[in-house]
Amino acid sequence: MKIEYRLSVAIWILGALTIAGCGQDAGDAVTTTTAAPDNSAEVQEHYRTKVSLPPEIWEALEKGQITQEEVDARAAKGEFPKFFRFATPADIPEGLNWQDGSDLPAFASPEAKKGGTFYTWVQDFPRTLRRFGPDANGSFRPFILDDVVMQLGKRHPNDTSITESGFRYFPGIAREWALDKENATVYVRIDPDARFSDGEPITADDMLFMFFLYQSPHIRAPWYNNWYNRKYTNITKYDELTFSISQPEVRPDLLFKVMELEPLPEHFYKELGEDYVERYQWRFVPTSGAYEVLPENLKKGQSITLTRVKDWWAEDKKFWRNRYNFDRIHFTVIRDIPKAFESFRKGELDRFAATLPEYWYEKMPDDSEEVQRGYVHKAVFYNDRPRPTYGLWINEARPLLDNRDVRVGIQYATNWDLVIEKYFRGDYQRMRTNSDGYGEFTHPTLKSREFSVDKALEHFSKAGFTSRGPDGILVNDAGERLSFTLTTGYQNFRDVLTILAEEAAKAGLEYRLEILDQTASWKKVQEKKHDIAFTAFSVSAEMYPRYWDFGHSVNAYDRAFLPDGSPNPDRKLKVQTNNLQSLAYAELDAMIEAYRASSDAEEMKQLAFQMEEFLYEDASFVPGFVIPFYRVLYWRWFRFPEDFNAKLSRDPDQYFLSWIDTEMKKETLEARKSGKTFPPVIEAYDQYRTD
Amino acid sequence: MRLNPLTLRKLRRFREIKRGYYSFLILTVLTLLSLFAELLINDKPLVIRYEGQLTFPTYGSVMLGRDFGVKGELANVPVDYRELERRFRAEGNGNFIIMPPVPYNPYENTEVEGIFRAAAPDLDNKHYLGTDTTGRDILARLFYGFRTAILFAMAFTVLTYVIGIALGCLMGYFGGLFDLLFQRIIEIWSNIPFLYMVIIVFSVIPATFSIPARITILLVIMVLFSWTFMTYYMRTETYREKARDYALAARVLGASTPRIIFRHILPNTISTIVTFIPFTVVAAITAITALDFLGWGLPPPTPSIGELLKQGTANLTTAPWIVTSAFIALVVILTLVTFIGEAIREAFDPKKFTIYR
Repeated sequence: MKIEYRLSVAIWILGALTIAGCGQDAGDAVTTTTAAPDNSAEVQEHYRTKVSLPPEIWEALEKGQITQEEVDARAAKGEFPKFFRFATPADIPEGLNWQDGSDLPAFASPEAKKGGTFYTWVQDFPRTLRRFGPDANGSFRPFILDDVVMQLGKRHPNDTSITESGFRYFPGIAREWALDKENATVYVRIDPDARFSDGEPITADDMLFMFFLYQSPHIRAPWYNNWYNRKYTNITKYDELTFSISQPEVRPDLLFKVMELEPLPEHFYKELGEDYVERYQWRFVPTSGAYEVLPENLKKGQSITLTRVKDWWAEDKKFWRNRYNFDRIHFTVIRDIPKAFESFRKGELDRFAATLPEYWYEKMPDDSEEVQRGYVHKAVFYNDRPRPTYGLWINEARPLLDNRDVRVGIQYATNWDLVIEKYFRGDYQRMRTNSDGYGEFTHPTLKSREFSVDKALEHFSKAGFTSRGPDGILVNDAGERLSFTLTTGYQNFRDVLTILAEEAAKAGLEYRLEILDQTASWKKVQEKKHDIAFTAFSVSAEMYPRYWDFGHSVNAYDRAFLPDGSPNPDRKLKVQTNNLQSLAYAELDAMIEAYRASSDAEEMKQLAFQMEEFLYEDASFVPGFVIPFYRVLYWRWFRFPEDFNAKLSRDPDQYFLSWIDTEMKKETLEARKSGKTFPPVIEAYDQYRTD
Repeated sequence: MRLNPLTLRKLRRFREIKRGYYSFLILTVLTLLSLFAELLINDKPLVIRYEGQLTFPTYGSVMLGRDFGVKGELANVPVDYRELERRFRAEGNGNFIIMPPVPYNPYENTEVEGIFRAAAPDLDNKHYLGTDTTGRDILARLFYGFRTAILFAMAFTVLTYVIGIALGCLMGYFGGLFDLLFQRIIEIWSNIPFLYMVIIVFSVIPATFSIPARITILLVIMVLFSWTFMTYYMRTETYREKARDYALAARVLGASTPRIIFRHILPNTISTIVTFIPFTVVAAITAITALDFLGWGLPPPTPSIGELLKQGTANLTTAPWIVTSAFIALVVILTLVTFIGEAIREAFDPKKFTIYR
């Protein structure tokens, strides 16, 4: 399920760059000397007793106004409604407007051919094959979960219009669905053909079980526990294939929160218990999607191969036809990017991502031999989706950074424009706000502050930093230097930070660079020990931006305010949340709460704009850059559809529209030997370009 | 200072071994020059004459544009002296600037056709070895990197020797339980892999430490895990020497233990010590380069040979001048040290001179 991890670690934005081990010895398949445990009784008990708490009770719990014991006692008295309900088909309300997305166009290329092996690479061997729990959020997750596993429905990647009922969906595991907006309930009927890769049919029970699993503490994934307890209030089973899911509030994206769920195989998780993390470490979850990992294709530390599920049930469905074309996808572990590039150049890898200018302009320029002879094609594809939030996240809880003038000064002293112009060669764009790319929900006029030494100096001097020390860094009367640690986990952006630091020194600001590996840096940031962090959240194509996670005071401090509304002098920073700026403003809280509670898109937009303006004034996020495209180098046998890819695609594999032309591969390999050439292909696909 | 005639003979012999002697001279000159690198490679000028005033900004505070009559946006920015030099030259009214031979500092990005990228060696722009992938001058980075490495290696050598020799001598001289105990401690200690220790310690040092502080910490860790090898040699040497007649004679005459160790035994083991010095220096330079290459050494953007090598290997085909410069520099330094070592070994060869006294 992807609703979440985009918010937790941004690890797979650029691939995890950890140096640490490859999980070779991280617990092999469990040897079962005793009979395998069976959790059926626990599951049934959960279905029987689980209640859904109203939002105000959750909030009171969070703020410590009531205790868990009190809540349990009230639940035992039957005060709260049951989460799981079992009903009959007769209970399905009449007059629902059932939809099946059949009016939408298919988006795969009819020219696609099945077959072949796609050779590609990963930088780190996946630490686990689990889909959730510790270490599950690695760069390999899209291939075993996000981009492969089928959900009830998927948002149409080209038709991004927003209708009365929200996004446009095409069917996945669901055959049809109906939205009951008044009751915040979505009814779903599962496709009777739907099967897991081990042949088991997918039923409504697997949906019920999904809630059990995500609400279970065994999976050691607090985010899931919280989300599936708070964001949903009920699931009702009507028959083997029909169920409904309700949410606590009427929101514009009711459909989104249901359609992008996926059933989990109940039979597979029979052994779920305390030891889930170790027990399931290397077991591949039976998938509803097209690719599976067979045990013999897992060479730990070296390579991993996905194979197409035999007789995949959705192979001929309208929206799934002509996709997932490769028979096998072979991932070699290559730890070094330059090495992977050389491997690509030799033809050992079929494709190479060249979004970094270094590869696009220097290592394989348009006039290089492979390109000019037509062996390697180059393409740039402009997509249109919410952007990862690359920028400087300033921790307001740190000394000096709690001063707004210092933060505004930092905004003016950070020369992103120069980085974009001179380092990214003008290809990338300056980010305007934290929430770019949400269409109508993105603030229409707000712009990030430009680089200006004079303005920076003006604001720094308001904060008491008036004179420069001998090294040119500003000092205040107390002798403190204007110097902050800038932490990042992106090793490949170290040069960017070096440039920023050089430029900031011109305005008397010192950035001490701290370039850690991904995991260490993320840990530091999650513990809120950073001054300023350069990081990004990967964002999925949601309807509207989130503010609660990033801006609400409950995610900054435990008990941020006293009952009278003044800041609590004893408050402690709250760790492991996404409020990296430690924002705690009652005014912002109020807007966020109104935004969360609103069911009216128009009102939400207005609130979003107000919050953006508030955040702009607060100046604790220095917007960095957005990359409005992705660029790929690929051997000519690697084929893309005529319009290259879908508008919402994050990378070329997200929708699996490509295919390998084995004939062409043979022809090209022979041509390389004989010296035969083909016309060069260098294409820019800008049909979805927005600026 | 009066040197022992035997030592004088050894030095004379060292001077006669031309290859080693010249290597020594070259390395000494390079090291001395590197101590004044700011005068040779810097974006601050040696001398400025502005409106009749002479200033020498090399070691002074940062000067802003307005100090030289720059107006507008650049007035409050540290002045760009290369730009200023062009302006003075164009105005021709008696103001002048003398820049160092390489007018770049090792941190600044210079652009090629408006882009920060690697540029091939270019004499006109005074990028004598070209620039690295973000447009920083390679010669500047190499030279400052060399300074760090050689000073580091010298400090490392002195420290490991002081500890290693002292402990080794004591073990050899006292023998018995003391020797036994320390040998076991050393065996355990030397089994701790130092590279991992460096990686672990460096991952927990906060970035708030200044760069010299971090270098010192690296030095301390490396010394802590490297002094042991010297004790073995010193221990056996001392064992041997202490049984000789001159040592026994000194004892009979009532010489104190420190006197026997430092005045009598130590000078006789000098050839062992001296022979090992170049190897230690080479090891230290290699270690710091390797750590930087692996990304566990000095924090960016500190200039270092290892960091340049890393960049170079990642850009072998597109910017071969990076790896060539770094590689040649490293080879030259290590070869010079090795030549010196060779000459020292020969000059101090105990088979040629013995110094029983």
